[in-house]
Amino acid sequence: MTQTAQAPAHSSPLDHLASACKAIALAGLVVITLVQAWQVFARYVLNNSPGWTEPVSVFFMGMTVMMAAAVGVREGTHFSFSNVLDAMGPRAGKIVRVVLDVITTAVAGLLAYWGFLLAVLSWDVMMAGAALPAGVRYLPFAIGATIMAIFSLERLALRFKGEGH
Amino acid sequence: MALLALFVVFAVLLIIGAPVAIALIVSTIAAAMVVGISPIVVGQQAAADISSVGLLAIPLFVFAGELMLKGGISERIIALASGLVGRFRGGLAQVSVVASTLFGGVSGSAIADISAVGGTMIPQMAKRGYDTDYAVNVTISAALVALLVPPSHNMILYSAAAGGGISITALFSAGVIPALMLALAVMVTAYVLAVKRGYQPEAKVPARAMLKTLVSALPALVLVLIIFVGIKAGIFTAIESASIAVVYAVLITVLVYRSLPMKAFVEAARGAAKTTGSVLFVIGAAGAFGWMMAYLQVPNHAVDAMKAIAHDKLTVLALMVLTLLVLGTFMDLAPLIIIATPIFLPVAKAYQVDPVHFGVVLILAAGIGLVTPPVGSVLFLGASIGKISVMEAVRGMWPFYLAAVVVLALVMIFPQLSLWLPSLVA
Repeated sequence: MTQTAQAPAHSSPLDHLASACKAIALAGLVVITLVQAWQVFARYVLNNSPGWTEPVSVFFMGMTVMMAAAVGVREGTHFSFSNVLDAMGPRAGKIVRVVLDVITTAVAGLLAYWGFLLAVLSWDVMMAGAALPAGVRYLPFAIGATIMAIFSLERLALRFKGEGH
Repeated sequence: MALLALFVVFAVLLIIGAPVAIALIVSTIAAAMVVGISPIVVGQQAAADISSVGLLAIPLFVFAGELMLKGGISERIIALASGLVGRFRGGLAQVSVVASTLFGGVSGSAIADISAVGGTMIPQMAKRGYDTDYAVNVTISAALVALLVPPSHNMILYSAAAGGGISITALFSAGVIPALMLALAVMVTAYVLAVKRGYQPEAKVPARAMLKTLVSALPALVLVLIIFVGIKAGIFTAIESASIAVVYAVLITVLVYRSLPMKAFVEAARGAAKTTGSVLFVIGAAGAFGWMMAYLQVPNHAVDAMKAIAHDKLTVLALMVLTLLVLGTFMDLAPLIIIATPIFLPVAKAYQVDPVHFGVVLILAAGIGLVTPPVGSVLFLGASIGKISVMEAVRGMWPFYLAAVVVLALVMIFPQLSLWLPSLVA
């Protein structure tokens, strides 16, 4: 089981998308920290425990996770067990890598579709503790999975061009 | 048939190198299709698990650990450890163990531990004439201590994988004695080998200098107390304590130590976001996989299978530990905790094993895999810092494996070692 860093070594609009995802993930962490710290401050200093902190923190955690997970697909940093794949010959290895990219693209595409569908289906219900539609909760999942599918397609295209890792 | 689809698809995808999260989702979809459930449920389960409130503490504790790592806390902790144990035979090895233990209480992560302490201590030991394999072996073994001491995010992961019903405070306190036992076992092993190899002690640090290093390291070490006392006294929840840990880490590294420039802060946040993405995406996928396992009654089957081959608590525990040790050699800790807990915990409960005790045993057994080939992230990182091959690092590692396994066996056989401290603070 390993995490291998294999970022595509070229400059493209997708590089900017990846940078934006990293920035959102980073900002998400900072927001969660501040919101949770505010909760403690508000409870003890203002004597008023706000109800919105939990749904907001959960939303930003979803954003951080899914943005970072999408970049993880592009950079090949997700947990995987690569010993068998590394031991394969170049031809067999390439075929398996293509198959894995196709599977990842398909899964990410499905997750994105389901995420948007679930968001639409639960949009009319309001979230507990915050004046937001419950469907908002699925948006990070849907958006992140869409970007994941795009990055996975990019990897697949690079492999066919002979630039993949 | 669905059970077969679930495990065979998962195993095949895992073996050919698919990301663990993708293997979990595909196998769950396959099983859902076999039993005739709409596969959208898989997406719903995964999304629900990624958005679980109980997991909020994980990214924050990881963030706090990264801040401590990038903020140069390790130098102060190493200086303190040097004053405490440097005068013993093989002094630098002892310093490495104590520093890893103390830094573990700040970062809660074995990887952060080996990066921070190993990054300094392994080259220093090699420079002072210690064999590099010995330096790597001591430091990576000591890094395992971080898995068991608060604020170990692996404990939170276990609690979440168990359904969130296990007290984080109980788990944090349950790991302390096993962690100290592991640190002691590594120190004794390092000492015996140091005598055999003729390594010398370091010069004794004068009391005045010792006091200075203690004062310098104290603000960082206080963090674990703030977390523990804060949760226990009900001042804040585990999630809030994690955000307090981040704020505190920023305050002391920026205001007290002045060792965290903006660039290092951004690097820390980036590192934490990357870990969060990898770990929590697996958690989401494993949530769907776990739901399917529950639907197919896998935990019940596991209990029945165990009852057929073993009749007493200890044998069952030993069988599970053995399985975890084997799985740990090629699986990373986080996915292993997430996948193994829903299967093994019901078995443990069926044999009246306390879930808190079982958590400590599970994390230690699975964690030993971090320092074993063929895949061990802490072993790889340690060997890379020492600039030696993994095989060179492993060749002299046997005494340390033995020490870790002895501690594991003791913790497994005597639940009081884990449960005594939680009973005191309850």
